[in-house]
Amino acid sequence: MPWSSLILTPLVGLLVLGAGEATAAPGTEVAECLQPASPDYYQFAMVPTGRVPGTGNARGTADVWFPHTPFGVAVSPDGSYRYQFRLRFERLRLPRQGSFVVWVTTTDLDQVEAVGELSDTGAFEGEVGWNKFLVVVTHEDAFDPEAVTWKGPVVVRGMSRSGMMHTMAGHGPFEQEKCSSYGYE
Amino acid sequence: MNDFEAVPRGQGGSRHVGPGRRLTASRGFTLGGALLVWLTAGTADAAGQQMDHAAHRMPAADGAWRMPPMDPNMPMLPGLEMALPPVAPFLAAAGIDIATLPEARPSEVVEMAGGDTLDVDVSIVRRTLNGHEMAMYGYNGQYPGPLIQAPQGSTVVVRVTNSIESPTTVHWHGVRLDNAFDGVPGLTQAPIEVGETFVYDVKVPDAGMFWYHPHVREDVQQDLGLYGNLLVTPPDPEYFGPAHREEVLVLDDILMDEAGAIPWGEEAPTHALMGRFGTVMLVNGETDHGLDVRPGEVVRFYMTNVANTRTFNVTFGEARVKLVGSDVGRYERETWVESVVIAPAERYVVDVQFPEEGPVVIANSIQAVNHFRGEFYPHVDTLAVVTVGGDPAGASMAAGYDDLRENSAVVEELNPLRAHANREPDYTLETTVRVNGLPLPIVVSMEIDTLYVPPMEWNDAMPMMNWLSTGDQVTWILREADTGRENGDIAWTFDEGDLVKIRVFNDPDSFHPMNHPIHVHGQRFVVLARDGMDNDNLVWKDTAIVPVGSTMDILVEMSNPGDWMLHCHIAEHLHAGMMFDFTVRPAA
Repeated sequence: MPWSSLILTPLVGLLVLGAGEATAAPGTEVAECLQPASPDYYQFAMVPTGRVPGTGNARGTADVWFPHTPFGVAVSPDGSYRYQFRLRFERLRLPRQGSFVVWVTTTDLDQVEAVGELSDTGAFEGEVGWNKFLVVVTHEDAFDPEAVTWKGPVVVRGMSRSGMMHTMAGHGPFEQEKCSSYGYE
Repeated sequence: MNDFEAVPRGQGGSRHVGPGRRLTASRGFTLGGALLVWLTAGTADAAGQQMDHAAHRMPAADGAWRMPPMDPNMPMLPGLEMALPPVAPFLAAAGIDIATLPEARPSEVVEMAGGDTLDVDVSIVRRTLNGHEMAMYGYNGQYPGPLIQAPQGSTVVVRVTNSIESPTTVHWHGVRLDNAFDGVPGLTQAPIEVGETFVYDVKVPDAGMFWYHPHVREDVQQDLGLYGNLLVTPPDPEYFGPAHREEVLVLDDILMDEAGAIPWGEEAPTHALMGRFGTVMLVNGETDHGLDVRPGEVVRFYMTNVANTRTFNVTFGEARVKLVGSDVGRYERETWVESVVIAPAERYVVDVQFPEEGPVVIANSIQAVNHFRGEFYPHVDTLAVVTVGGDPAGASMAAGYDDLRENSAVVEELNPLRAHANREPDYTLETTVRVNGLPLPIVVSMEIDTLYVPPMEWNDAMPMMNWLSTGDQVTWILREADTGRENGDIAWTFDEGDLVKIRVFNDPDSFHPMNHPIHVHGQRFVVLARDGMDNDNLVWKDTAIVPVGSTMDILVEMSNPGDWMLHCHIAEHLHAGMMFDFTVRPAA
């Protein structure tokens, strides 16, 4: 089966993972063989802000992997990685009104894209083309693919593993270095 | 058989490094010395250490160690200012007047029929790169070596004479030839000593673009220019789609500074952590490769990556790029791609149409890593320039360019292999690394750095640390998951005709994980799946990249009896142990 059709496979049942406040539909598990294996190393947590009722105890994970490519590693012409990601949650109560909209953004928030909304099982699968990125889920009136940024409260957010590649200035062997010499304030 | 080193390893201490020069232990690196320097580094003038690394450069005399060039925005790692790799520096033809060496010339095409013999002399040549005259190596004095063309199914004879200063062999990469001619010293043949000759019977059962290179200290000999292509032509003239012409793009890089090539490690490779990234890009051995084409022309590029460690992301400007083939023949289906990611030793065949007049830059376009700032940044190197102009190309060859062909014969051959996709692998290999005796500042920095490891290393983001790590301090490991056996202790035996599923997992939790291009000698394989995703477009391969954290399932067709190697094709990783051999018993 081509991978493109896998992406379009309904993600129902992905979150039959827990009790509590989850609202997963029963009996709709997707066959395991259809799910790519996200390298654990590049998974990251989706952390609730507690600003939206019913979501404070949510536990979320973003699985990250490369979409199919002939080359084994998916990059764009500028060399940025192209990632597929999948969100899955436990104990996430979906809103009675409005929608949980998924956004991807660069870590300095200078580029923001609305990429979709959580399914009625609280799942999502999408793509991102930045080496460092945030995934943000907000509570909006509705999903608007043209929206330039969110208006509603942030429900959960997570940062790509690459966000841990922080500056060495002031750390370890560079502890005695003058950070200002390297462009830092 | 675990020792493929043809050059004896030294024992440290005072070493002769060339006429009239000695590198003494006092200038070599010691762990205690590094620690002392590091602990006192806080008293140094930090501002003086940054941006200007010239103060730390070693003398530029030929044959002495010089620190490799660093990004001026990257600070020197405190404690390593005077550190040197604990091996002797090596440059080709040390002590010989370069002016007396024959000047190398561009590659020539050698069309061979079955039974023909080609004499190849492996010799020292004079090359000029970036304005520097250097002693390098060449096959028949050419860069790259002769482009050998032979018809599929034939056997050609190549008589190789060693006229360089150390033993060598020739490995016919990707070719399913008879085991005795695979070119692996200590496994399939004795090294060709200086002045000796070895005759290779090169049987070429598969169509496609292959290449040849030494299997003795590739990190040195291959880097010095010993590589060439072998194009095996299929009997079907429409094997690939129509194209106006065919061109070869041999991608390479070489590590140089303003004084010339940075020396290589004599007893063991330097740059054992990440491999030796070059600072000067080479296409077909040239720094300024160019090509003139006509508007509308469809050019078939046979791309080969012969670099020690660099994976390229090759772009062709705005031109459309059609991927038609890889290591060992055609894909099931042709596809459009935006760029070509090509790891060391891989080959890709692309058809590119250049519709508009004007220059088109073939570039390596990456997001490099600045470890100090913890940032990615765009980096583009021009590899070649295609100048589009003149009368439009004939339309007939371009007529089918918009179409993507499905190769029914390939589908018929490869599709049945998908039945193996959903079964458990026969063997699982994990990649990891062990280090011993690396300078403490390097260890500390790398421990911090491994909070995040990118899937691929596109650039040398830690050139000083990388340079100081040698094959004596770093052991790259292929570990069999079931038995825990590592590298040369792995013992696999198969029967001719076996289809063996091997899973390779690039463990991201090792000390310094890195992408690895895995190469299987003498056989061909398909990549069945990556990270659990089935491959929907199969092609025969002999080398495939495994990014950090990724899992790759390959199905190897054990079709060729003999003793063969499986190894990482980053030259420095190979010589840091990342290899083993396996046996294929002939069918009864």
